[in-house]
Parts: sequence; C-alpha cells; structure tokens
Amino acid sequence: MIWAKEETLPRAEIEKIQLEKLRQTVAYIYEKVEPYRKKMDAAKVKPEDIRTLEDLRKLPFTYKSDFKDNYPFGLFAVDKKELVRYHASSGTTGKPTVVGYTRHDLDVWLNNVARIACMGGATADDVAQISFGYGTFTGALGLHGGLEKIGASVIPMSSGNTNKQIMFIQDMGVTLLVATPSYALHLGEQIRERGIDPKKDLRMHIGLFGGEGMTEPMRDEMHRVWGDQFICTQNYGMSELCGPGVSGECTELCGMHVNEDWFIPEIIDPETEEVLPPGEHGELVVTCLGKEALPLVRYRTGDLTKLMYEPCKCGRTTCRMENLSGRADDMLVIRGVNVFPTQIEEVLFKIEEIGPHYEILVERKNRLDVMTISVELIDDRLLDSYASLSKLEQRIKSALKAQLGLATQIKLVGPNSLQRFEGKAKRVTDLRKDGL
Amino acid sequence: MKQISVFVENQPGSLMRVTSALNEAKVNIRAAASFDTPEFGILRLVVDQPVKAKEYLTSKGFVVRVQDVIGAELKDEKGNLNQMLKILAEGNISIGYIYSFVIRENRAPVMVFHSDDNEKARGVLKEAGILLVDDEEL
Repeated sequence: MIWAKEETLPRAEIEKIQLEKLRQTVAYIYEKVEPYRKKMDAAKVKPEDIRTLEDLRKLPFTYKSDFKDNYPFGLFAVDKKELVRYHASSGTTGKPTVVGYTRHDLDVWLNNVARIACMGGATADDVAQISFGYGTFTGALGLHGGLEKIGASVIPMSSGNTNKQIMFIQDMGVTLLVATPSYALHLGEQIRERGIDPKKDLRMHIGLFGGEGMTEPMRDEMHRVWGDQFICTQNYGMSELCGPGVSGECTELCGMHVNEDWFIPEIIDPETEEVLPPGEHGELVVTCLGKEALPLVRYRTGDLTKLMYEPCKCGRTTCRMENLSGRADDMLVIRGVNVFPTQIEEVLFKIEEIGPHYEILVERKNRLDVMTISVELIDDRLLDSYASLSKLEQRIKSALKAQLGLATQIKLVGPNSLQRFEGKAKRVTDLRKDGL
Repeated sequence: MKQISVFVENQPGSLMRVTSALNEAKVNIRAAASFDTPEFGILRLVVDQPVKAKEYLTSKGFVVRVQDVIGAELKDEKGNLNQMLKILAEGNISIGYIYSFVIRENRAPVMVFHSDDNEKARGVLKEAGILLVDDEEL
C-alpha cells in the first residue's frame, strides 16, 4: 500500500511542490531565526534570491555545531508555548542536540513515518512491537506514532529484557518488529535457543529496522534466523530532521525512498562542499520543508550515500538513497545510539586519576555492540586496595553512562602503554564487519 | 614496615617486567603477593629499599604506591598464625590481605598484612608479645 499520493507524483510536480515550500521556508527562517539570518547576510543571499531549486546551493550549510552554539532554543522559530514535544539526541559534547515540534510538526512527522511503515509492508492488521529504547530518542515514539496512524496495534515494549520481549511476541501474536537490526538478530537467536521456530511457531512477518544501518549480509542472516517469510526493510532519519520518516526501503529493496515533498536531499563532496550530480557518492545534505518549530536548511548529516532518481517498481517516483556506506566524521553508532568520541573524551578528561590518552574498541559480541575504552591509570593512591581500583572503574562507567546513555567496558592499563600520536590521533578501532 | 604496590595488567610477562626492573635497580625482593582478578592486578612486594624501588619503577613508567603494612614474626610452630589472628580478631581489627615471606635466611617466618587500623594492630600484637619486623631488619 502507498500511504500518500505525493509519493507517486511525476518529477515535475514533486519539484514544483519543493520549490514552493523551499521559498516559504527560506522566507520563514530569514524572518524568524537569527542565526540563519546572520549566516544568509554573511553569504549575501536574500530570500528573494531563491527562484529555482538550483538556487538552494546559494544558502549556507547548517552543521551539528550550530545546535551546540545555539543551545537550547536558538534555532527555534516559534515561541516555546507552541511546542508540544521535545526530543534529544547525542551532541558532540556534554549537551544533547535538542529538537522540538509544534502540533503541526508532529502530524507531518508521524504521517511521514506512516508512509515508511507502509513501504515496509505494514497494514492496519499488524501487531507491532517497538523494541527501540523509549525516552528522548525519536526512534521509538516516531515508529510508535506512525504505526498507530495506519491503524496497527502498537506494543511500546522498549529495549532490553529479552524474556519479556519473547513472551509478548508469542502471547500477543506480534507480527511486526521495530528494532535495530543487530538487536533483531540477537532476539531471533534467543527465540531459536528456546526451541521456538519463528516461521512455524510465531506470526512475525515484518521487520522495520533503523537506528543503525542494515548491511546485505545482515539481511541474509535475518532470513536465516527469523525465516524467509520475514520482510526486512530499513528506514532512515535523524532527530534534527524530525526523527525516522525521512526515507525508507520499500519491499523492492532497492534503496530508501525519500519523502521528497518534505525533504530536499543533496549529495556533496564533504571536503570541497561542492554539490555532486545524481548517482555520485558523497555526504547527504538535507533541507527540511515546512517545519514550524525547528526549520533546518542544508543540514550536513555526515552520512555517506548516493541518490537514485529512476522510478521504482513499487510505483513510487520519489528518489531513493542507497544504504549508508559510512560517515564523513568520526561518529559511531553503538546499539543504535550515536556516539561521538569527543563526548567520551569530555568525560575522561574530568577524571583526575587517569591520563589524557584513551583508545576505543568496538566489537559485536553475541550480535550486540560492545565498546571497550582503555585508559591509563596514573594515580598511585588507587593501589591501596583492589576496591579503590574497582571504584574508579565504576565511576568512569557511570559517568560515561550518564553522558552517552550506554553501558561501556573500561580497561585500566599502565601509564604510557597506549599509543601516542603526532597530529590526528586514531583512537577508535571498529572490528564490526558487515554489521555481523 | 613498608610495602610497594605496583599496577600490573593481566597479560604474560607483566610481573616479570616489574621484577626485572627491580633487578636492574639492585633492589632485593623479600616477599611478593598478587591475587587473581579479572582485569588488572596489584603486585605487592616487600623489598629492602622501598623508596629506591618506587623511584626506579616510576621512572620506568609503572604506577607505584608505598604503603605502611605490618610484618609480624611468627615462630614456625603449630597454631601460631591462628594465635596472631585471634589477637587481632579480639581487638576487632579487620585484615585487608595477608601474605608471608618467601625467603628469610635462618629466621622465623614473617606474616605481612594490612588492616583497617594498623596502629591498633601493632599495639595489640606487641602487647601479646609478638615480634614486629622493621624495614631495617630486611
């Protein structure tokens, strides 16, 4: 099923809608949001200079650091009393990236998620278990609201507690799972370990995955674990843009359809910042159209992909983005949570008993991400007892947990045992291969 | 009596790197103890020159702590360790860890321990006539 007629318009009509909304959006931000006005003035561009879609290139980029520099409300275009929801995701340092929604924004967002759910095969008959962590992240409540819109029954399970997850899947006859692909694999294997054959014994037939990329080897593995009836699609979004609902795979599995009447995607060379032609690989830049609370123009997502404009067999005419192939920056995705090494660094620098050098090792164990951070012990007072060393370890872990929202492993090592770097340090080793 | 504690990682050769550094510094080891822990270890040593040992090991990149412990000389007779522990227990003194000297030419064995109240422990043991060992006697 196709949720909205805007998904099947001829290209000329899509572009007509985009141009109209773009001109409104640019006039809106110039009037309402001071940081945008300043940037546009510096670039000597006025709202009336935007006459064609090509003119989008005249506008300055927006970066994640703009959220930090204008924290918490500086990029908002409406009075705080107009907001009906806040969400937040990782920032590059201690403060999160906070986003807000008006009533209208929420409605647009959840309609876009409804489109994505339909692309993945969901219908009003589905019983959907949301196994993303709830809280301030947009993933859980986004899919939750989108699936409710199409009339599916939603179980707000949240993450963790595998036994309870399995009980609900069995007892409620769950047909649709929302999770990170790695957690879905873990859950499927746990189900098999209990002697349950998902294909024969359960009603599960749809997986809507996000929070991290799903590689093709992971998709193959998903069918092996859950059975060949399991339709696995992934979708894309980020809280700055709205949350999930930016793009999603249809069941033809040939890229993620962008909801182009709400988002204009561009691909740029992250080094030269030059816009690349369709089909070229580079950094995804997204302009949100018609957002009231937090308009966003030419946002540097940091995600590497390419765009394909040929119409799809599914009937949709919206352009498709290829599976993400990596990041233009050093952001890591750990259990679906975005982590910037600078966030970790900020925590470690505040702990006096350890030195300034650290290494981050990321592995996938039992399908789940494990992040181990090695730090050098420099304070000899901790050698009075094992308890004080353990206490230090616990202190680092809970400070990181508070900052990242993630459990980490800490490895204390002797002074000078970590590698020293001249110039740019390579502190992260990611051993995950193909997501498996 | 002084003890040095050295931070060691759980990997082959890590204890040896400490002992070989002490060898270079011509420091003699009188007793050694380390316990199995999953991630890291503390190697505890009684040496004849604790200050020199700390200086040298620190210059070689080790984290080292010099700490006050008690060395109690026990006659090698049945029940003597039990006797000492009983005195401490009656004094309501809690022992953090205990280990013994490995080599001591022609002398009675020495138990090394650390407690929650070393001063009080010294007091009750002296009162009970147990001989405490000083660094000079090493």
